[in-house]
Amino acid sequence: MTTTSVRPSRSAMSFSIDEWFVVTLSRTIRDREAVFHGFASPCAQVAMHVARHTHARDMLLVEGATYALNPDPAFIPPTGNDLSLQRGSTYQMRFEEFFDAAIRGDIDRMFLSGGQIDQWGNTNVTAVGPLENPKVKLGGGGGGCNLAATIGNLTLWSSRHRGGRTLVAECDFITDMGHRTPEGTRAELGFTGGGPEWLVTELGVFDYPDGRMRLRQLFPDVTVDQVREATGFEVDVAGDLRTVPLPSTAELAALRAIDPLGVRRVEFSPAELERVFHHAEGSGCAC
Amino acid sequence: MTFYLNTDKLVPLEEAIATVRDGHTVALGGGLSARLPMAAVRELIRQGRRDLHLVGSAHGIDVDLLVAAGAVGVCEESYVGFEQDVGLAPAYRRAAETGSLDIRESCCVTMLTQLRAAEAGVPFLPVRGVKGSDIRRLHPEYAEVTCPFTGEVLVVVPAIRPDVALIHAELADRRGNLHFDMPYVLDERFASASKAVVATVERVVSTEEVMGAGITIPAHLVSALAEVPYGAHPSSCYPAYAYDRDHLREYAGATAAGPAEAAAYVDRYVTGAPTEEAYRTQIGEDRLARLTGWSESTEAWKELFA
Repeated sequence: MTTTSVRPSRSAMSFSIDEWFVVTLSRTIRDREAVFHGFASPCAQVAMHVARHTHARDMLLVEGATYALNPDPAFIPPTGNDLSLQRGSTYQMRFEEFFDAAIRGDIDRMFLSGGQIDQWGNTNVTAVGPLENPKVKLGGGGGGCNLAATIGNLTLWSSRHRGGRTLVAECDFITDMGHRTPEGTRAELGFTGGGPEWLVTELGVFDYPDGRMRLRQLFPDVTVDQVREATGFEVDVAGDLRTVPLPSTAELAALRAIDPLGVRRVEFSPAELERVFHHAEGSGCAC
Repeated sequence: MTFYLNTDKLVPLEEAIATVRDGHTVALGGGLSARLPMAAVRELIRQGRRDLHLVGSAHGIDVDLLVAAGAVGVCEESYVGFEQDVGLAPAYRRAAETGSLDIRESCCVTMLTQLRAAEAGVPFLPVRGVKGSDIRRLHPEYAEVTCPFTGEVLVVVPAIRPDVALIHAELADRRGNLHFDMPYVLDERFASASKAVVATVERVVSTEEVMGAGITIPAHLVSALAEVPYGAHPSSCYPAYAYDRDHLREYAGATAAGPAEAAAYVDRYVTGAPTEEAYRTQIGEDRLARLTGWSESTEAWKELFA
């Protein structure tokens, strides 16, 4: 993969794809939302802290498997259950306190990923291949198969779109429900949550009008054809397709402060991490 | 009378774990990389337990090591792995792919609901989700009911009453009053839903000291107690020590390499270290001291994960 740039400049700030990706994830959060990420989700975890330090200062941040509210960790550790994540927290929910809140509909957004994601936003974190004899047994869904029913909106993400095995026509196993499964639509299943609102991948940003995935924004070094090639079903493209908006210097600074260990980078292949971009001179500060 | 009212429950680890029998339904406390009952897990393997039915939420080396040692018949956890950092759980993965383990993957919320049914003494409770998920294919015991008040059709799940919950705590008195820090994960629910709690504890102290710290699980739910310093290693037991990321990598690397390498790990750290004292010697004082050093400074803490 070649290094690409948006009008490079020696004096301008540069940033890599993992940073732009996490900032893009953070922008799916609205201010005053109560937001949760699961374990094993470093990109979503960092994104929530970026949002809380930039455009969503009054969000309620529920910190992963610690259920700490609005903590200010000195760094993000490589596990979702560590005391370091609780620093400065005003209150810590019990396990059941969080899940009850989510099931009765008080949590506005959750980040969710999967080894497979289909066109309806169903995700598979259980097993690739036939269930009786899986090709790869994945870790499992945590609380997803209940949370996906009732949480307000879901932001899906995948940093492994390009390989062609993640965005599939049908999941081998549906762990967490998107907009429709073979058993029915969300309305037919009686779900109170809205389902997947956004999907962010290392290629672009997608939404779900009428429940089916559509390409909305592209990273500037990616083409629509590349997205089509990497996707296992026909890709709808928005009429107003555009480039993913650049991260601001404030967002990049927040991200670098919260993730000095770079735990977000583990989600990307080494080749993807070579993708480096630059702010054009004089246009760097969108803060 | 199912409460445990004897006044001194402190016994050697071997004796405490001997109350767990082959085929028992076992709830493992803690979660992911934190406060896993690892000394209890190692002792179960030393005693050659078989066909255990594990229940719980998101776990890591505790479940994987039991699977690697052939101690598990049924696994009903919501997640088994080492997150994005160390990756998939190697023994669990191999057992799934070769069909040698009955995996009934569950969901944190469903598990919580099933424990609550047991705590309340009712045969089942409803859940809001699960419909549309293939998780149902793994659970023919789930059913549906029509709500008599609203007419909604909901999935219902049966009570789970584990034979024993294995819980690691920071402090306890000899009666079995336990104190540990949040997150409690499912431990409080396990304690009241299970027929017995077998606890391991970093330090046995006076009742006054446990009360001062706050009693997380009361003595009447606890049947036996063993004092095992570093009993959660290689997971964390804050404020005493952080998790041992290097050891998790060593375990996962060895176990992923193949059954022989997995057996060599078990031989070196579990069966070949016949007591927890021998285990601590095998790990080494320097490494354990490093893990307790997390509290010296933010830099020292960060360095453990760099």
